Amino acid sequence: MSDDEALSVDVSILSERNKKALVDALNSVNGSKTLVLDSSIAGPLGLVTEVALMKQHGVDKMFWLEPGPLSPSSSNVIYLCRPTITNAKIIAEHIKRHAKESRKFVYTALLVPRVSTLVSQILEEEGVLGDVSIGSYNLQFIPLAPDVISLENDRALREIWVDGDESVLFNSMQALTALQRHYGLFPRIVGKGDSAARLARLLERQMPKSTSTSMPETLMNPSITMDCLIILDRRVDMITPLLTQLTYEGLIDEVFNIRNSHVEVPASLLSPPVPQTGSSSAATASSSSPAPVALKKDNKKKYHLTPSTDPLLAELKDLNFSAIGKKLNHIARKLDEIQKTDLQAKTVTQLKDFVGKLGGIQSEHQALRLHTGLSELILSYTQTEHFNKSLEIQQNLLASYEVSAQVSAIEDLIAQEAELQLVIRLLCLASITSGGIKAKTLENLKREILQAYGYEYLPLLLALSDPSLAILLPNPLPTSLTSSATAKYPFTSLRKSLRLLIDDSPEALEEVENDISYVYSGYAPISVRLVQCIAQKGGVLSNPADKEKAAVDGDGSTAGPPTKVQAHPIVGWKGFEEVITTIPGETVDIVQSGNIPATAKTKSEGTKTTVVFFLGGCTYTEIAALRWVGRQNRGRKFLVATTGIISGAGLVENIANLGKPAGTKGDSIQ
Amino acid sequence: MFEHPTSSWQAMQDGNVFYRRQQLYSIPGKLPNLSHYRIAGCRYGGPLALMRDSSKMIALGTTPLSMKPQIQIISSAGEGIMSFSWDQGKIIRFGWTFDEKLVVLNEEGTYRLYDLQGEYQQYSLGSEAAEMGVIDARIHENGLVALTGALKLLEVKEWRGERALHLANPGLSQPPHAWAVIPPDSTISRHVEVLLSVESTIYTVDSLETVDQLLARGPFIQVSPSPNGKSLALLTFSGLLWVVSTDFQRNMAEFDTKSVIGADGPVCQVEWCSNDAILVIWENAVSLIGPFGDRLDYIYPGSTFAITEIDGVRIIGPDSCDFIQKVPASTLSIFRPGSTSPSAILFDAWDSFNQRSPKADESIRSIRPDLAKAVDECIDAACQEWEPYWQRQLLSAAKFGRGFLDIFNPTEFVNMGQTLKVLNAVRFHEVGLPLTYAQYVHTSSSYLIERLTPRNLHLLALRISNYLSLKPDTVLRHWATAKILKSKPTATGSGQDAELGDDEVCRIIVDKFQQLGGADVSYAEIAKRAWEAGRTNLATKLLDHETKASDQVPLLLAMKEDRLALLKAVDSGDTDLVYQVLLDLHKRLPLGDFFRLIEDGGPKLTSASKLLQVYAREQNREMLRDFYYSDDRRVESAVLSLDEASRMTDQSAKVMAVKAAQKFFSEDKDRAFEAKMMDESVRLLTLQEQLEKETDGKVPVFGLCVNETIKKCCMNDMSKRADKIKADFKVPDKRFWYLKLHALTEIRDFQGLEAFAKSKRSPIGYEPFVRYLVSKGHSKEAIQYVARCDSPKRMDLYIECGEWRMAGKECKERGDKAKLDELRKRAPNSLIARELDQMATSMK
Repeated sequence: MSDDEALSVDVSILSERNKKALVDALNSVNGSKTLVLDSSIAGPLGLVTEVALMKQHGVDKMFWLEPGPLSPSSSNVIYLCRPTITNAKIIAEHIKRHAKESRKFVYTALLVPRVSTLVSQILEEEGVLGDVSIGSYNLQFIPLAPDVISLENDRALREIWVDGDESVLFNSMQALTALQRHYGLFPRIVGKGDSAARLARLLERQMPKSTSTSMPETLMNPSITMDCLIILDRRVDMITPLLTQLTYEGLIDEVFNIRNSHVEVPASLLSPPVPQTGSSSAATASSSSPAPVALKKDNKKKYHLTPSTDPLLAELKDLNFSAIGKKLNHIARKLDEIQKTDLQAKTVTQLKDFVGKLGGIQSEHQALRLHTGLSELILSYTQTEHFNKSLEIQQNLLASYEVSAQVSAIEDLIAQEAELQLVIRLLCLASITSGGIKAKTLENLKREILQAYGYEYLPLLLALSDPSLAILLPNPLPTSLTSSATAKYPFTSLRKSLRLLIDDSPEALEEVENDISYVYSGYAPISVRLVQCIAQKGGVLSNPADKEKAAVDGDGSTAGPPTKVQAHPIVGWKGFEEVITTIPGETVDIVQSGNIPATAKTKSEGTKTTVVFFLGGCTYTEIAALRWVGRQNRGRKFLVATTGIISGAGLVENIANLGKPAGTKGDSIQ
Repeated sequence: MFEHPTSSWQAMQDGNVFYRRQQLYSIPGKLPNLSHYRIAGCRYGGPLALMRDSSKMIALGTTPLSMKPQIQIISSAGEGIMSFSWDQGKIIRFGWTFDEKLVVLNEEGTYRLYDLQGEYQQYSLGSEAAEMGVIDARIHENGLVALTGALKLLEVKEWRGERALHLANPGLSQPPHAWAVIPPDSTISRHVEVLLSVESTIYTVDSLETVDQLLARGPFIQVSPSPNGKSLALLTFSGLLWVVSTDFQRNMAEFDTKSVIGADGPVCQVEWCSNDAILVIWENAVSLIGPFGDRLDYIYPGSTFAITEIDGVRIIGPDSCDFIQKVPASTLSIFRPGSTSPSAILFDAWDSFNQRSPKADESIRSIRPDLAKAVDECIDAACQEWEPYWQRQLLSAAKFGRGFLDIFNPTEFVNMGQTLKVLNAVRFHEVGLPLTYAQYVHTSSSYLIERLTPRNLHLLALRISNYLSLKPDTVLRHWATAKILKSKPTATGSGQDAELGDDEVCRIIVDKFQQLGGADVSYAEIAKRAWEAGRTNLATKLLDHETKASDQVPLLLAMKEDRLALLKAVDSGDTDLVYQVLLDLHKRLPLGDFFRLIEDGGPKLTSASKLLQVYAREQNREMLRDFYYSDDRRVESAVLSLDEASRMTDQSAKVMAVKAAQKFFSEDKDRAFEAKMMDESVRLLTLQEQLEKETDGKVPVFGLCVNETIKKCCMNDMSKRADKIKADFKVPDKRFWYLKLHALTEIRDFQGLEAFAKSKRSPIGYEPFVRYLVSKGHSKEAIQYVARCDSPKRMDLYIECGEWRMAGKECKERGDKAKLDELRKRAPNSLIARELDQMATSMK
């Protein structure tokens, strides 16, 4: 990502805020303290602070919040956890146990992000409310990258559309309001989807109706740095997360499962270089064995995927995986050259320069080794039969090519005992793209799934076909469901109107590279197309990059950076109203003028930031695609805000309610 | 016309220090005989609380008789503020809080906080105090310490009804002769300290320990700490007044009270005058004792009562309310006879100027270098004067002097003018707040406003707020509350407010708020008062104006507006608020009503219903089951049942749970498929149970899926059984073959696999055999299956098996020269390359 224009919104403020709030919360309890950590907080917390900082503020020992005995080392015990019922019960159990052992501690529960009646109610029911002082640690948006902020709630999608628990909406509203507190009102809120509309209304209501002295100034006036908030709820585009992500970072997520920007990789890739040049050929030889086996062999280590410590990641993460080999090769060559030329340094100044660069080169070397190793592992994964088969099915389904053949191919995958998440993803994709699967076939497939993976997955299947999610439906719909609001997803018409599919033929390759569809090798994610409908209207119909090239060619001057087109101002959905109304869900377009009358809006030049909020999570590919969109114009940058980063596997896991955020035990706690 | 300031001065210490007694109010005949009463005075010019002292005998007819004890509250200016009678247990002690509330504590450990309107909150010291009884207490501004019948000390901090905490046990065998507390904000430890006069010594008690100060001069009958908590005045039985630092390290003064002529009987009160002098009060005499044992006597025609202030002491006598203080430095500097300080000269110059005397100019010239200081001193002295005439004189002198200065910052001057206006307004006898400037600064202006509103002086409070640019919110809030209470519809219907209807009152309040910009006043708070006053309708109307749902909802709940509360909570999007309502309703309503409320809400309450389910799934499954049952939600009931099944370990219980789920599904005609599946699930579980029984539990299969069960059978030499399951569950051939392939490969039963492969024509072909075996590292075993695959694929499959020679042969047989060439290029070593070369040549 080339940051020629810096983001006009600096998210590092949020990092500082998060860190300070934590320190304040810790300091509110005097003396040394034992910290008991909710495992679902640990990941996000790892992005906010280091263990050292917590030690500085009196934390002498840390434990996981889990049932069973707790032996604190100091008289103060601080619980840092989400306000869930389970957590409250564990806390109550600890306190009661200590009371029975007649050991005395001072308990403080810091709830993230805010205090809740639910927790105090349960503590009261358990009879320990008087022993705990309850506070809060208001952890909201966590910056993952300079242009990505996340609430890091993995379960948002399940909570909203399966459980019907809309706490996420309220928390998002508070987080977005906090953002407005820093930068001023979003001049416009545009969105799509029922939940998005609800969030927008909550945001709007939060604003004061009349002048009130207790409101900060920033909430009174439209922002001058941000021009729009785009809210997309995940229901608007369920297709994208079901597909296999094909960017580098996306594939790392698919293969290794990135959690809170951390990924577990074989330790050998991270350890300092071993002088063993011959081993690379051996590694390629062994790559013919399936990846999962290779992955399990050596012990794993956590690695923080962030461009701030990894010099190569920024260049690599958003590339389509097919281009990674070339890129790595190029980098390797470059490094080699630098080293060679510098070794020939003659004069002292040259030598000094070289020594100065050494550190940088070394870390680049290390990163290079890591990424080569990772892409090797990914490569072997992409060569497995199931991977290729599912990719083929995906592409065919997106093109609506021989749908019934694809469905029987899915059945074959079930017979071959392919992963459940893979099967479910494909099946849902088939259902959405073709407007439902024939009732008889679907019933048969469901039966196959239940037999092959267990009858305990029946609730998962029910949840998928529930009207609130409606991503696995029979065709035609049974009468009991038709009445409800489950309008069919108009995929085939969207494919045309939003130019979703770009021919994968060699002639069109150029075009694929010059469109957001590169992230799925020829398929443009609907969500990002919708953002383009608002913020880059030209890009939906044709390639902005093409035009620009033509313009440059016309000038005849190929030298110098190409002049980009100035981004057009935000005018809502204008021009795409018809397309938008065909998609189920409410459409939102609100102008927030604050106290200044709308007519007296000040037009200021300079780069504006458009905030795109994904309610229910977004994928790495969508982030990559948005970055691509941002690069095409002058004067507009995107800030991606999301409830969390999701992938197809995680999505299925969440809906099935299997993978409760497992404690990523080890590194963050010592 | 006005007495010169010095007329109230009296010298002490050889004329170096002056004390002055200013009359604040003249109140002849307004007060009853104070000696018949127990009295508590509020600091900062606050009112007195009086209660008939039942231990004293009085002549019949001098005071109205009443069976119940009655407490009267009277302002410093002698105006009655309110009175109330006490119907609880015997009053032990009463005293004032910082915010001018009267605390009344009875022997059962119950205490009430009365505001000046007579509204009160009641709290208790806890069960222990109730059992043992309270025999004495000391009340300070921010808490109280009670002495229980067990001679233990209980402390209450703040006035929010906090739990009473034990202080260290002093181990007394009888009540102390006298005792006192030093409030937390005046001690070094910032915790309350109690001083107990025990035998001949003093015990200092705090929350941690009791310290015996090892004194021998006791016992003491009066213990009185100074306002700053640094010094202590002790009075012995023999009448010796001993002043000592609170750590008992420094002896400060001693004075024999018996030496005062005309003072008979016991000492009634030992009070501090600020921090440097002590006022001793007898029944018929008042003496001020200076720090060096000097004495000033004051004459009053009857009994008096004194209240220590931070800058002096207030004395209420039969005819007047006086304030005694050390003459402040600035005042002394200006008015002291013969003073030649610059400020005195400035004041003199101003006087001369007024009399058009040229001396004025001369005087100013003489103090030119110190003029700024003189001006400041005049401003300062102005605020120390009680009489507006002298305030004006001094400020005018300052203004006059200011004219001769090149640079002068007028802020101080303007502020002082404003402050004096405010102070004079509240000192007016109808208001009766004799607040001095020092006290005003100490307590802040907003505190003053908060004291005015409980006296129903809203207009004055509002004007002062505006004048000092304070927010009008506090005043408005109190005003609205008072308005509601006043306008209470009464049977008699007298008074102008009484006839106002709810709509009218609501409109008046809303209008006033909008007009005065009280945007931060919470309507919910006012609505709450309306509700408490029994005006539910008005409360609902007011609540409609509240924008914050988090304030609205709790009151609606309290008002039992259950549906509305739930709707508002859902509407706010704040899930926590919804929980608050749900949990409250669940506690309060019968289950059936509770469910009906939610179900009848329709789509508007869907999210509440969903939240209830989330909560119940974790915390109260029994309720969830009832909820689903009462709403005929078969599918949800079934899923719940399944979820429970997944947590069970007992086999038969699990089967039962799944059967229950099956039943639920079967009751819904749209769920035939699910019911069938559950039926299958039950069959499988029973079959697995049986299987385990047959194998004596050596093959654990219970709870596995169909696939795994088949595999387990294949792996444990029960292929017949596997076939049977296949038939029973109608497992497709294809899947069955894959399963068997996977299972046999896992146990390396390659012979079995071969036999199986040959048993009939494979429905999945043989390519999967090769690929799977290779992927599991059994390349050698895979080779034999290549021959049975489609010929075009064979060559690649051979290569996957690492069988280059066979691959070459395959090419040769098919005559595919190009492929063979390709093979030669990819050959992994020279040996194979050579062989391939040979083949290539032989092909020609």
